[in-house]
Amino acid sequence: MKSIFALATITFKEGIRNRSLFGIALLALFLFGLNITVAGFFMRDIGKVTVDMNLSALSFAGLLLVFFVGVNLMAKDIDRKTIHLVLSKPISRAQYIWGKFFGIQLFVTVSLLLLLVLSSLTVLLLLQMYPAYFVGFSWSIFYIAAFFILVKFSVLAAIVVFFSSITSSSLITLIFSLSSYVAGVTIEEVVFYLQSEFAVQEKIISESLKIFIDIVSYIIPNFTVFDFTLEAAHGLAIAGNRIFLSLGYGTIYISILLMLASFIFARREFN
Amino acid sequence: MADFLLSSVSKTYKPGLFKKPVQAVNDLSLNVSHGTVYGLVGPNGAGKSTTIRLLLGLIRPDSGSILFSGKLLKESTVQSEIGYLPENPYLYDHLTLAELLNFCGQTSALSISDTHERGQVLMAKLNLLEVQKRPLRTFSKGMLQRAGICFALLHDPSVVILDEPMSGLDPIGRKMVFDLIVELKQQGKTIFFCSHILNDVERLCDQIGLMNNGRLIKQFEREVFLQNIGKTVFLHTSILDESQQLNIQSLGGSIRREGEGHLLAIPDGNYYPVNSYLEESAIKILGCRSEWMSLEDLFIQSVKESGQ
Repeated sequence: MKSIFALATITFKEGIRNRSLFGIALLALFLFGLNITVAGFFMRDIGKVTVDMNLSALSFAGLLLVFFVGVNLMAKDIDRKTIHLVLSKPISRAQYIWGKFFGIQLFVTVSLLLLLVLSSLTVLLLLQMYPAYFVGFSWSIFYIAAFFILVKFSVLAAIVVFFSSITSSSLITLIFSLSSYVAGVTIEEVVFYLQSEFAVQEKIISESLKIFIDIVSYIIPNFTVFDFTLEAAHGLAIAGNRIFLSLGYGTIYISILLMLASFIFARREFN
Repeated sequence: MADFLLSSVSKTYKPGLFKKPVQAVNDLSLNVSHGTVYGLVGPNGAGKSTTIRLLLGLIRPDSGSILFSGKLLKESTVQSEIGYLPENPYLYDHLTLAELLNFCGQTSALSISDTHERGQVLMAKLNLLEVQKRPLRTFSKGMLQRAGICFALLHDPSVVILDEPMSGLDPIGRKMVFDLIVELKQQGKTIFFCSHILNDVERLCDQIGLMNNGRLIKQFEREVFLQNIGKTVFLHTSILDESQQLNIQSLGGSIRREGEGHLLAIPDGNYYPVNSYLEESAIKILGCRSEWMSLEDLFIQSVKESGQ
């Protein structure tokens, strides 16, 4: 446990001191500023647009954090052979996987928390400026939605760790992780479409393709289960079981991925 | 007892689809005794770094066995007892040396005070105390090499594996590292190292292995090639004819061809008769040397003999 903690700590420090972080923070600040500037154009929808833009900015910043910094925190170790040095210490390969994941997770959490503070200030400012257009807005739902953005990027961090455990190149890890993300945010729509009547009318969709998509939908992470932007923007209450199911899905998915990564990593050779 | 015992170890790399497999290590057997300094030398691509990775458990042999202290090698059994310095260590760019050593201490189950104490001693020896709070990305190549040595030695391992420890070091840095290795040797630690700097290998190693094309082509004790047991005088002469060679050998001298002449090894007790003979025969003495055959001579000769 001490080794996992030590590894997580240095991974976090490596991430948080990366200069790309300033660029990502600046971009998020720009989006928050843009929100304040253009909010007045939306009249009665100011509240909805503000929440939507803030959560989208957080989500975009999180995506950049994982892909521009998170990927390098493990893949670069293998790429540059720093792993030879690390594994020469009394650290098992499974401990390395978990340590790296917790380090990336901690880095994403701290970075998103800082951005969430700025985001909350933006929402608070607009709330003070246009209180009449924030009917139904709830801070608790806003924070639940923000929390699930973090859960989404925890799953993505586990995907990054999983692909880093298989390949030696940070570029390949990035491509595979990005593909998984794109597939993950669209898979639910594809499945719903195939189950709809429109798909039945489309005779070009073969049965084998439907079976293939069905199988793939169980493997690829469904990122839409972590999306509560709509509820936060409209102030709709979120059922407790949905929170529980989404959180459970994320936790189980992360655990399975990390166990698989540990299994593969333990058998890997480092030339 | 041997710290490392390798028996008929082979390792082939598969670089990828449609590419020819590369046999990096071929039927390698070697024995690194406890408390000795073992130097592995060989040309680039000879299989030295692969041998080190096999010893560390980073890769597994295709055939053969590796024993560490008499037990079959497992990653978990060796890590706590081994300190490793890779060739060109890539350390974490944004960490400071002090943070890197803290990480090493935590993973090696050292207490905070022990980590600090040992870290300070090592950094002082390698002249890194003043830069311990600086990010490692600002370090020069030589400083990174010395930082890597601190990282390898912090947990006071009984076996130290060094891959090109002098690489990228300036003369002062080399002296520091050299003195540190001598100190480790005096402490009775087992040291296994690869180097292209043959002079360092000659001066430090008790046992030397020459590797080429993945095979161990020669293995010998340091004294064997130095012929330094007892007092011997080495003279470099002009070319000797056959009768002169026979006469010198009958007087107790040894002869081998070197460059544009011959090299004579004359034991202390036989010096005067041989010297008189050289004077009588008007054989020109071109110079004297301190050793019978340098490691470089032996290395080049062995590589040529092994077919390269």
